[in-house]
Amino acid sequence: MSIEVKNLIKTFGEKRVIDDISFKVENGETLAIVGFSGSGKSTILKLICGLIPLDSGEIITSKGDIAMVFQYSALFDSLNVADNIAFALRERKDLRNKYSEKQIKNIVAEKLELVGLKGIENKFPSELSGGMQKRVSFARAIVTEPNSILYDEPTSGLDPISSTLIEDYIVRLKKETNAASIVVTHQMSTITRTANRVIMLYGGKIVYEGTPDDMLKQNNEYTKQFVTASLDGPMQMIAEN
Amino acid sequence: MGTLQKYYKQSATYKIFSGMLTEFASFLDTLGKITINGVEVFKLIIKGEIEKNEVLYQCYRFGITSLPITLSIVGMTSVIVASQVALEMVKQGGGNFVGLLMTILIVRELGVIMSGFAIISMIGSSIASEIATMRVTEQIDAIEVLKVNPIRYLFVPRVVAGMLMMPPVVIIASAVGVITGAITSNLISGLSYKAFFDSAWLGIYMKDLFVCLLKSICFGGTIALISSSCGYFAKGGAKGVGEATNKAVVWSFVAIVIWDMFFAIAFFF
Repeated sequence: MSIEVKNLIKTFGEKRVIDDISFKVENGETLAIVGFSGSGKSTILKLICGLIPLDSGEIITSKGDIAMVFQYSALFDSLNVADNIAFALRERKDLRNKYSEKQIKNIVAEKLELVGLKGIENKFPSELSGGMQKRVSFARAIVTEPNSILYDEPTSGLDPISSTLIEDYIVRLKKETNAASIVVTHQMSTITRTANRVIMLYGGKIVYEGTPDDMLKQNNEYTKQFVTASLDGPMQMIAEN
Repeated sequence: MGTLQKYYKQSATYKIFSGMLTEFASFLDTLGKITINGVEVFKLIIKGEIEKNEVLYQCYRFGITSLPITLSIVGMTSVIVASQVALEMVKQGGGNFVGLLMTILIVRELGVIMSGFAIISMIGSSIASEIATMRVTEQIDAIEVLKVNPIRYLFVPRVVAGMLMMPPVVIIASAVGVITGAITSNLISGLSYKAFFDSAWLGIYMKDLFVCLLKSICFGGTIALISSSCGYFAKGGAKGVGEATNKAVVWSFVAIVIWDMFFAIAFFF
C-alpha cells in the first residue's frame, strides 16, 4: 500500500466538499479521480500532500516523498529550467548538503532526458510551451524519487497530441518509479490511457469505483452521464454551482 | 422573533457595526499572521538559516535599485523645507541656526522616514506583488510540496536585506538632504555654506546617529516582513494580488509611523 485514505471529510464554510471518502492506491498503480468541476477532486490531492488540513479522517502514506504536478505547472518563473528542477536538492533541509553542484547538474540532465527535454536547462518557463512546462514540472516532481505522484489535471488546456505525450510520460514515470499515482482529470483519453482504476465524485461522495473499461460500458447512471456529456442524469451541475 | 431578526439584519445600524467588526477581525487576523511570520523569520535568522546568494540579490534590490528614488525624495523634501525656513530665519536674525535646524530635522526624522516611504512604494509593493503572484499561481504550494520552508526561502533573505541595506540608504539620503538644504538656503537667502555647515554640526550628537541607524534597521526589516506577509496570504487571482499590494503599502506606512513615534518617545521625550 502506498496511499490510503480513510473516511476523509473536508468542509469549506458550510459546504461539505469531501464527505466520508475512502480509497487505496497501491505502488505501481494509477488511480484516476473524475467528476464535475468543484466536486472536490483537487481538494483530495491538496489534503493528501498536506497543503490544506483535513477536518477528520486519516491519510496513510508509505515512507517517502509525495510529489505533485500542478494544473498550471507552477514552475518558479524567476528560475531557469535547471534551477527549477534542482530546487528541492538545493533548498530542502535534508538534501541541501547531500549533493555537489556537479551531481545536481547530472541529476537535472537525467530527469530532463526522462521527460524528453534534453538540453533546455538554461531556458526560462516563459520561453516554453504549455506541454513543455508540464514536462519540466514532471521532472521537478520526480527529482526527489517520490513514492507517490499526484497529477492535478495534467492534460487540461493542451492540444490532443501534447495530451497524448503527457499521458505517455505519466505511464512511463509509473513504470520507472513504481510510484503510486493519482490523476485528477476530466479527459477521457487521460483516464483510459493512464489509469488502472477510476473513482467518480459527486456531492462529496464516491458514486463510482471501477476500471476505465467498465466505466465506458455505462452501466452506472453517473458514469453514463459523464461519458456521454449529457445534461440529463443524476448529476445536476447548475444546481451544484 | 425570526422576522424581527431579519429586519434588524437589514438595518443600517447592523450593517455599519457588522462591517466595523469584520474590518477589526481582519485587522487582528493580519496582525497575528505578520507576528507569527516575524517570530519564525527571527528564529531562522538566529539559527543562521540564511540563503546568502538570495540575500545578496535582495540587497541589490533594496539598496541599489531604490537609491535614485530615495535620494530624489529626500533631496526634494529638503529643498521644500529649506525654502520654507531659510529666508525667514535669516530675516529674523537666526541665519546661524539654519544649518543646525536642517541637520537635526534630516538626521532625526526626514532622512529616515522619507527613505522609508520611498522604499515602501518601490520595494515593498514589488515584494508584495511578487510573492502574491507566486501564491495565486501555486508556486508557493509547489515550494511546500517540495518540503522547502517558504519562510526561509522567501522571507528571510528579504528581511535580512531590508535590515542590512536600509541604514546605508538612509545615510546617503541624509547626506544628500543636508547638501541640498545648504544649496537651497544659499540660493534663497544668500546664507553662506560656511555659516550653514558651521552650525550643522552643533546639534548632532552620537545618540542621533545611533537612533537614526537603529530606526533604519527596524524600518527595513518591518517593510520587508509586512510586504512579504501580505503577499504570502494573498487569495484569488489578479484582484488578490492588487489587494495584497495595497495592504502591504498601507500597513508598512502605518507601521513605520508607529515605529517613529515609539523612537521619538523612547529617545527624545
